[in-house]
Amino acid sequence: MASSFWNIAYQQAMRSGVFVAKVYSFLHVTTNYLAFPAYAFGPSMIPTLHPSGNVVLAERISKPSRGDVVVFQSPEDPNKLPTKRVVGLEGDSVSFVVGPGKNDESRTIVVPKGHVWVEGDYIQNSRDSRIFGPVPYGLIQGRVLWRVWPFQDFGPIGPPTTT
Amino acid sequence: MRWLRYLNQWRGTAKEALEQVSIVAKFLCLIHVTDRYIISSTHVQGPSMLPTLNLTGDVILAEHLSHRFGKIGLGDIVLVRSPTDPTRMVTKRILGLEGHRLSFSADPLVGDGSVSVVVPKGHVWIQGDNLYASTDSRNFGPVPYSLIEGKALLRVWPPRFFGSLR
Repeated sequence: MASSFWNIAYQQAMRSGVFVAKVYSFLHVTTNYLAFPAYAFGPSMIPTLHPSGNVVLAERISKPSRGDVVVFQSPEDPNKLPTKRVVGLEGDSVSFVVGPGKNDESRTIVVPKGHVWVEGDYIQNSRDSRIFGPVPYGLIQGRVLWRVWPFQDFGPIGPPTTT
Repeated sequence: MRWLRYLNQWRGTAKEALEQVSIVAKFLCLIHVTDRYIISSTHVQGPSMLPTLNLTGDVILAEHLSHRFGKIGLGDIVLVRSPTDPTRMVTKRILGLEGHRLSFSADPLVGDGSVSVVVPKGHVWIQGDNLYASTDSRNFGPVPYSLIEGKALLRVWPPRFFGSLR
């Protein structure tokens, strides 16, 4: 009968819908509380990250500390998620060169409470706290743990490599 | 080998227990997703939003959709993660969007010393309605838009103040 066909179709749809909802919930909880993938590109983190693009795994469990590479929401543009290294925590005194190409004049700033100071590993071409100031903790999304792609560079992301 | 037989007897119970736990877990996931991404109730207290919000505490319904679509506007009461203490949420009103120029009195009790500021790109200016007892953008500067986590919809407690917030 026609009505029982629609009954069965409806039941199948509901079952599939519930299954999709379960998968989505699981992925959501994992991505928001454990770890999430991020795509990082650009020259600001050479040599740690490739300018042509990397897929990294970032975890949300630990509190960021000095030397960690973190993914955060940009204070300049809420739709962007830059990846930089934490160079100073709240209370630290950070010194930086105001115009690295032009002159050697440097400034020292104390990082305010509740904020961190981030800088790219490739200082010469990096848009970071030297431009947009210290970043509030609430904007930090996660700490970069591992590079997943490109495959030949699969491995942990660690302290800056001294060249 | 006797303990293996005991384990077998408990297999049925274990399976049922697991099923019940998974039902509870799924329900909690649903509640969590709704609470975080759609609508949630928050208890707010403190003097900084008098007379709009009460000193001793109100429960308000806040929605978490508008800020994802950029639909936060001037005059909205928003829940913001504090830039000075990331474990705290503050409730304030938006008085300036990016590019707006604002004048405010550095010390409202003294009354003079007006400061003018332009809200930078990607930031908003938040202020409590009670200028005399509010720590807000006049103290910690403009706040990045991404720190906004919700927009207040209406107050549900105390019952005599039930209604939309303006």
